Amino acid sequence: MLEILQNNWLLFLVGQYPHGPIGGLVMTLFMAALSLALCFPFAIGLALARLSPYRWLRLPATAIVHTVRGLPLIMFIFWTYFFSPLIIGRAVGGVETLVIALVVYEAAYLSEIIRAGIEGLPKGQTEAATSLGLRYWPTTIKVVLPQALHNMLPSMVSQFVSTIKETSLGYVISAHELTFAAAQVNNVLLTQPFEVYGILALTYFALCFALTSLARLIERRISAGRGGAPGIVVAA
Amino acid sequence: MIRFENVDKWFGTLQVLAGISGEVSRGEVKVLVGPSGSGKSTLIRTVTRLEKVQGGRVLVDGADVAARGLDINRLRQRIGFVFQAYNLFPHLSALGNITLGLTKLHGMSKAAARERAMEELARVGLTEKANEMPGLLSGGQRQRVAIARSLAMDPEVMLFDEPTSALDPEMVGEVLAAMKRLAAAGMTMICVTHEIGFAREVADEIWFMETGRVIERGKPAELAGRAAQSRLGAFLQKVGAT
Repeated sequence: MLEILQNNWLLFLVGQYPHGPIGGLVMTLFMAALSLALCFPFAIGLALARLSPYRWLRLPATAIVHTVRGLPLIMFIFWTYFFSPLIIGRAVGGVETLVIALVVYEAAYLSEIIRAGIEGLPKGQTEAATSLGLRYWPTTIKVVLPQALHNMLPSMVSQFVSTIKETSLGYVISAHELTFAAAQVNNVLLTQPFEVYGILALTYFALCFALTSLARLIERRISAGRGGAPGIVVAA
Repeated sequence: MIRFENVDKWFGTLQVLAGISGEVSRGEVKVLVGPSGSGKSTLIRTVTRLEKVQGGRVLVDGADVAARGLDINRLRQRIGFVFQAYNLFPHLSALGNITLGLTKLHGMSKAAARERAMEELARVGLTEKANEMPGLLSGGQRQRVAIARSLAMDPEVMLFDEPTSALDPEMVGEVLAAMKRLAAAGMTMICVTHEIGFAREVADEIWFMETGRVIERGKPAELAGRAAQSRLGAFLQKVGAT
């Protein structure tokens, strides 16, 4: 196993780069981060729409979230893979395809996290803001979202972990990411699939475990910060 | 300035306000007392439409607060509201809590808003806590910041919803002192409170509420005279004010 790693670590890390497209672990992280960043505005929009008092906003947003959550990610990957060339009239690479599919898919999940974060805020926060005379948008942007997003940081890191794992599905459309790199190594070696995919598993695990631990750490920090908030009075 | 006309309000099948009428004139201080669940908080929350009424009307300067054409946010700017749970924005400093409304609603520059906020903090004696986050302030200090936040908007009326009920006893005084100064300065106020001493001292009129009705009203001295043979007397005894 060590020998395989010694001979192929660069392929695992960056794919065929610089002789070919960049891939491997670097691309996996890049795609996960990019998808999450791109889906963020959509997720906030969906969450706000779902909490809207207006039915014409709430119902479509709810329908979108439920539809997306009711379908497997690979469906979105296939749809994007086969339909986006028809729409834009040219071939779309594996990486773009995967990122588009992930943005749609993650937006639905992230919107649920954001919605929970907003609903978890004490009602008094919006009451205080509206009592000052603040309208919906200033209240949302200045009072609700900063607190909700802060409280949700651990969940967002967890979502990042999920996204990292989901990028492995990019393998089926030849997106050059970590799993694809492992498959390439396996194709070269032919006889050592256990070792190769063992390395793959360990890599994913180390990365995701580290991030999950980070999420736990952030969570503890946030709840410690809350300790100074309502209830407990710090002598001043 | 504020008029309640036969106000009814239900939470589900529970009637929390039952045909309440009354008027608060400019410069007047009304204190609402009564057991919990009697509808005091709900009543003042109807003034800025934090609660909608199902019967009757609530009028501010003759305008129905439930009217469709009414700009409720404008109205809320004119009416300060202080909550039992302070409801400071925990992600903003004491100063940031106060400047938010000033920059967003009064269109002030950051510097001007800061200056105005510092004036209000000075009035409640918290100049040195301006940059402190709410989580690091004591309950009494938080409530004083909340009062300063409301006052910075130059309201014509201040509504207080049990502002001292969540406080440790030793901090009640500092908040009541700020409220007394405000009353002395001629602010129109409606205060929901269990602080009978405060009510006696500053109220122009006390409304004693029970089960969604105002069952006694009068000047503090009159009520004290009548208290012995009424429900109010029993209540006052219970809260330890006699």
